[in-house]
Amino acid sequence: MSFEININNTQVEVHEGETLLNVMRKNGIKIPTLCYMAGFTPSGACRLCVVEVEGKRDLITSCTYPVEEGMVVKTNSSRVIKARKSLVEMLLANHPDDCLYCERNGNCELQWLAEELNVKERKYFSRKNTDKRDHSSPSVYRDPAKCILCNRCVRVCEEVQLVTAIEFVYRGNKTKVNSAFNKGLNVSSCINCGQCIMVCPTGALVDISHIERVQAILDNPGKETVAMLSPAFVASIAEQAGIKNTDNPAGLITAALYKIGFKKVYDMSVASDLNIVLEASILKERMEKNHSTPLLSSCCPAWIKYAEEFTPDILPDISEAKSPQQLMGRIVKYHLHKETESDKLYTVGFMPCVANKYEASREENTLKGISETDAVITVREFLRMLRSSGISLSRMEAENPLPPLENNSRAGFQMAYSGGKAEAVAMQLNLLLNGKNPSGFKFIPPKNPGSKREVKVKIGKHEFGFAWVSGIMEAQNYLDQLKHDQRTDIHYVEVMACAGGCVGGGGQPVSYFNAREKAKLRKKTSQELEKLPANTIAGQNNDLATYLSANEKNAGSKSFHTNFHQRNVLK
Amino acid sequence: MDKQLLSIFEMFPNRQRDDLIPMLHKIQDQFGFLSEDFIIEVGSYLDISVNKIFGVATFYDNFRFGPRGKYHIRLCHGTACHVAGATTILAELEKQLKIKSGETDKSGLFSLEVVSCIGACGLAPLIEINDEYHTSLSVESVKIILDQYRENHNNDYDE
Repeated sequence: MSFEININNTQVEVHEGETLLNVMRKNGIKIPTLCYMAGFTPSGACRLCVVEVEGKRDLITSCTYPVEEGMVVKTNSSRVIKARKSLVEMLLANHPDDCLYCERNGNCELQWLAEELNVKERKYFSRKNTDKRDHSSPSVYRDPAKCILCNRCVRVCEEVQLVTAIEFVYRGNKTKVNSAFNKGLNVSSCINCGQCIMVCPTGALVDISHIERVQAILDNPGKETVAMLSPAFVASIAEQAGIKNTDNPAGLITAALYKIGFKKVYDMSVASDLNIVLEASILKERMEKNHSTPLLSSCCPAWIKYAEEFTPDILPDISEAKSPQQLMGRIVKYHLHKETESDKLYTVGFMPCVANKYEASREENTLKGISETDAVITVREFLRMLRSSGISLSRMEAENPLPPLENNSRAGFQMAYSGGKAEAVAMQLNLLLNGKNPSGFKFIPPKNPGSKREVKVKIGKHEFGFAWVSGIMEAQNYLDQLKHDQRTDIHYVEVMACAGGCVGGGGQPVSYFNAREKAKLRKKTSQELEKLPANTIAGQNNDLATYLSANEKNAGSKSFHTNFHQRNVLK
Repeated sequence: MDKQLLSIFEMFPNRQRDDLIPMLHKIQDQFGFLSEDFIIEVGSYLDISVNKIFGVATFYDNFRFGPRGKYHIRLCHGTACHVAGATTILAELEKQLKIKSGETDKSGLFSLEVVSCIGACGLAPLIEINDEYHTSLSVESVKIILDQYRENHNNDYDE
């Protein structure tokens, strides 16, 4: 049933059951919110969305209030503005005044609101929050003093990622967001995906920055800094900086990195190819042995950590192939250079992800005490490095990254978004089973967005089922359903911990209000960039093939494999 | 697993979310406090995140996370006691014992808890130590009372 209500002297048609906030947002009326999250049930915690409704004594929170026939709503009356201003002043009562030193300076929802609502001085004084800052995690840094208890991080962690590493503890004015028993994130069930960073309105949750340590090494003449560019990172930067794919974004970024002081810059695409080749061969092996359970992808470190903590029984089904970042570190340190030089090399992964920072610190990803990847720079950090060095990407002369092994395929860019890797693995499997000329192979994802993300393709005599899921909740539900239905027609499941894949990763620029649109744009950029390489299939890369066969003789292909183990954490 | 804990679990065969708070009460009655290990056991029994349980348990003042001291001090912080200066008494207790409300001191002798009205408003401000009432307190008398208990403890020990 639809009817009309009056908002700011304009008649607006609405449907029964909609909330006021949704109606106003649909009609382009700006309402500030701090706790509201699209797609979640509203909580009404921050109260910034208050509006005045004729006939109601109090101001009401529009996020929780359903529309009623004949409502007369005012969204910007002086009473409303005054109330909102008071709310922000109260939020600021114990907020530290250190915006200048804050990671989110200039990109902070609380700062914007204080500016919009003309807050000019500290009106209320409250005791400073002296809770300990949490440096314990390799990826996520938490500063409780800046937390405004909006509960977005808590809800993302619990409802989207099923992890519940952080939760409200204590009560009343002592309430805070903390991990279990007030211990650090490192012993909690945190999977380091960084989705909490992406929704935090202030600087209470930020990443552990590697900028300083990288800069310190750049000046060290005894070290050789090597940059490794992930294709997903290139696509994100291209989208963010507005570089057309015809302008060679990887080349521009490479030139910028040389300017910043890196000695060598490699493209990580070859490692993506290698990862896909490895996974396809594992899949082939499993098919020959008639495994009934599907192979699960291993490229997402946050997903791996989730599985190790919560579902250790599926660990044997996860592919043992190392992730592209670690493969690349291994290739750079032990194959492109002599092993004796490996401690002089300092490899820096450029990734759209904060979980990669944790992954680089895993013991499995070291050899004789030396990390394969020494530091990880996210999209956010790189954009900051560009600004601090005064470099404009569009003014660079493109320089191609050093090709360790040329002829990359499009697989790297495909790995940036959910569904891409499944396709790449399917094509590689087709190449493996059908030989050199895989013509007529088509992998067509379902167009209907509501349908299951599955594709069945016929390769040789067998029919293979490929599926892809993103977001831990979706992944867990899907895998549970597979088990429940006792399905054996799905052979490969690509799992990515962040919704939409790496394009929605925890290392992407924080832009809460258009996060989904941004992720879509990044996906589009990736899809445009993937048209550039001549090869469409990972294994068509001839150099990769020779490299693999040479390496198998020397070190055994096991150097490209890793292992997982159950983790007992506070979960 | 602890046998006593197991027998508490057996009282809740349905393993539902709403069993959580009654279960925590039973555990506290049995053991005096909720230890981290017990919370973890409850989490795996009811399939609720440990963090969630910790959040629920810290929300309520009644749950304790460490053992009580030999002498458990309950400070009344009702309206009358507040007006009569319970806040300064609390500050003095915290200073003397070097603990905060809800904690137990290092020697395990004293633990401190702030409670709402005990119902002896005419005698405000007051504390209750192991069912003994000490009333009409002042900052000076707090130290004397604590010293008495310390002496009692030493006497117990000598005998």
